Amino acid sequence: MCRGISVFLFDLSLVFTNNNKMLEQLLIFTRGGLILWTCKELGNALKGSPIDALIRSCLLEERSGAASYNYDAPGAAYTLKWTFHNELGLVFVAVYQRILHLLYVDELLSMVKREFSEIYDPKRTVYHDFDETFRQLRKEAEARAEELKKSKQVGKPVSNSKKQGQVQKTGFAGGNGKKSEGSLANDGGDGDGKKGRRPENGLSNGNFVDTVEAKVNGTFNGKENTSSNVGAFDVNKLQKLRTKGGKKTDTVVSKGSKEEPKKKLTKKNRVWDDSPPEAKLDFTEPVGENADNNIEVVAADHGESMMDKEENFSSESESEDEDEIGKGSKPDPKKKGWFSSMFQSIAGKANLEKSDLEPALKALKDRLMTKNVAEEIAEKLCESVAASLEGKKLASFTRISSTVQAAMEEALVRILTPRRSIDIMRDVNAAKEQRKPYVVVFVGVNGVGKSTNLAKVAYWLQQHNVNVMMAACDTFRSGAVEQLRTHARRLQIPIFEKGYEKDPAIVAKEAIQEATRNGSDVVLVDTAGRMQDNEPLMRALSKLIYLNNPDLVLFVGEALVGNDAVDQLSKFNQKLADLSTASNPRLIDGILLTKFDTIDDKVGAALSMVYISGAPVMFVGCGQSYTDLKKLNVKSIVKTLLK
Amino acid sequence: MDGLDHWKNQAEQWKNQAEQWFRQDFEYIHQIPPNQLYAALAVLLFTILFVFFVRLFKRTKSNTIVLSGLSGSGKTVLFYQLRDGSSHQGTVTSMEPNEGTFVLHSEQTKNGKKKPIHLVDVPGHSRLRPKLDEFLPQAAAIIFVVDALEFLPNCRTASEYLYDVLTKASVVKKKIPVLIVCNKTDKVTAHTKEFIRKQMEKEIDKLRASRSAISAADVANDFTLGVAGEAFSFSQCQNKVTVGEASGLTGEISQVEQFIREHIKP
Repeated sequence: MCRGISVFLFDLSLVFTNNNKMLEQLLIFTRGGLILWTCKELGNALKGSPIDALIRSCLLEERSGAASYNYDAPGAAYTLKWTFHNELGLVFVAVYQRILHLLYVDELLSMVKREFSEIYDPKRTVYHDFDETFRQLRKEAEARAEELKKSKQVGKPVSNSKKQGQVQKTGFAGGNGKKSEGSLANDGGDGDGKKGRRPENGLSNGNFVDTVEAKVNGTFNGKENTSSNVGAFDVNKLQKLRTKGGKKTDTVVSKGSKEEPKKKLTKKNRVWDDSPPEAKLDFTEPVGENADNNIEVVAADHGESMMDKEENFSSESESEDEDEIGKGSKPDPKKKGWFSSMFQSIAGKANLEKSDLEPALKALKDRLMTKNVAEEIAEKLCESVAASLEGKKLASFTRISSTVQAAMEEALVRILTPRRSIDIMRDVNAAKEQRKPYVVVFVGVNGVGKSTNLAKVAYWLQQHNVNVMMAACDTFRSGAVEQLRTHARRLQIPIFEKGYEKDPAIVAKEAIQEATRNGSDVVLVDTAGRMQDNEPLMRALSKLIYLNNPDLVLFVGEALVGNDAVDQLSKFNQKLADLSTASNPRLIDGILLTKFDTIDDKVGAALSMVYISGAPVMFVGCGQSYTDLKKLNVKSIVKTLLK
Repeated sequence: MDGLDHWKNQAEQWKNQAEQWFRQDFEYIHQIPPNQLYAALAVLLFTILFVFFVRLFKRTKSNTIVLSGLSGSGKTVLFYQLRDGSSHQGTVTSMEPNEGTFVLHSEQTKNGKKKPIHLVDVPGHSRLRPKLDEFLPQAAAIIFVVDALEFLPNCRTASEYLYDVLTKASVVKKKIPVLIVCNKTDKVTAHTKEFIRKQMEKEIDKLRASRSAISAADVANDFTLGVAGEAFSFSQCQNKVTVGEASGLTGEISQVEQFIREHIKP
């Protein structure tokens, strides 16, 4: 008890002495990129470029509905919070150290927004008079936060234990407490109670408790933060994981190395009755690698791959959209009369409120979900669109639903547009010049079509005069090597295989060496399918990637997958990052979407996968023959999603 | 039934009225001497034709200049230098295009007729690439900004972007001149414009080879560049491509302004 109080006092004194340094920086800039105002008092130069990172990985990635963004630079760990003024096109960003838990930031940002929008003039570019206003606002906000903290500090934790039991989150032990300040700083008033208690258990691994508490007590923001922190995979969390390199990876690595020398887990044969156990079920013919002398297969020539064909789009009429929108906004008109809504649509409303956007957004979210978009992705997208439309003036003669639709369309196009070039031919040529083979590894869960699509990609590359070689690193599934061998024979391309029960990482390594020797331009590595939860298999995959450092890690996902897409991709990325011993782990670079011909217009899986991983869709498999490989057409996907 | 009859009577009445009016108009027209009628019609026809031809031939020379380039190359800084003569308190990655119609800052002090230019700064972030297509059709000239300081790591991406711009239909058909500006030359380790020019020509040469190897549908570009069989050089482009230097932060943008003045004739 005494210790608790002394710790609390110590922390409080720290807080007071750091008074001037609490907020690192507060910026106001236009959406076009010009900084209008920064606080002169807090003159600290920010290490790294957190604002640019925020814009590139969060705001432009349609994650602007998230509560905060964490940025790590050598020597600093910042948390950023932001708010928009959509009508004037301004962005307000506050940066502070992550270890401090500032509670007044949200309030301060909204106050700053209000005050600044009054003095804003599009022609002006200097706003020195705002310094004074800001100083006052900050004092106000800090004072208010202090008061709340003092008043709540005596409060006991309310049903803490009960909530602990309810919510199980895999929080990172103590240490940075990344999640806690994200959620703490978020729940304005709520957080204060915890802040008072924090110092008591803060020095122990008590952050876990706080995290749990915060999550359950969460308001809408809090709940959203929860999902963004734990449920789905955050790109920024990924960056954190990358730079962590601390205790957790060490323990995992040591565990991993211990297991390696042990024999590989083999499946025990199931014994059904008293019959004697069968001999090993490996029927591979003991033939060498050049064993196509008995079976002469004519080289497969199936014509042009669909990658090279023009796509004909059916021009859908626009009237269909109108009907849908009409149906979508049906839940709303009950509230307002017909006349007032007509009047508003003609005159244009003053400012869009969140409550106005909600029905249209809900309808849009439902529509996206019927198109097989994962639920949390649809949710996040809708929040991001809401954040970008709030406070905007509705133009006259437009309905809210059409504005929302237009904003959503733009957001979807932005997400699906690749962030980097997906010109594989260019990369292959670049690797050719350096005289090393371009290595592509196909990863994915069981049964999505890796081997089939590998053959399709090989066929396409071959059509463009590229020397391809296949590497059969699926040494687990019965028949996998034979399958690839058949494809190789039909396409007349070399295949490197070592049979079954071999270490895939070693097989891949040798395959790449062989490719360098015989001058192949591209090596396509087939791996065994594995569930994202299977720890030993994910470790083996990570080892394969780490050992061979491929040029392209292609995640093969089927278009039929629903909400599981989010889980698959995020876990794959996470495991690849966690279990890799490299300082800069390789993650998924591209997505290959398969079985596209089986879904008619439920194309949402593409959106879920791209959103959660940030990797572009490089190929689309739309059939089971060699020519059924296409490129993703962004416009038609967006049109189908919003139909 | 009664109401229906009533409506029918009303309709009849209106029809009769309309017929009467028509008859009156016809008589009136017939009363006008034919010469006047012809004269009136001729004048009407003439005006229509005149307006039509004027619109066709009067090609309003657009005064739009598009600033494009990779993210972080300094376009927004250049925009504000051209407009206000200073980059104010700095810039961050743009999320939206900056547009403005104004007289160049350096020309505001000069006397004489000053024609305002319409300058557009298109964000360079790859997710916002489609915005460039909105502004290219109305462009009179394009300024492609390249970061001379961090040139080598971004060489390939910058060359790809430049290749995409140079092979767009509107650029090739209208022969829009392009100025490649090597920005950030105030720094000591910035590369020279000759080096940058050579590197970009080499990269575009490679791109030409790989893009044309792919069949027609795969190519996202409308046209190909350069002469087949020869190494690519900017002089082979149909539109004029020049290379210049500038430094956005210090305000050394004389080459850019000269280019603008050349292509926006008052």
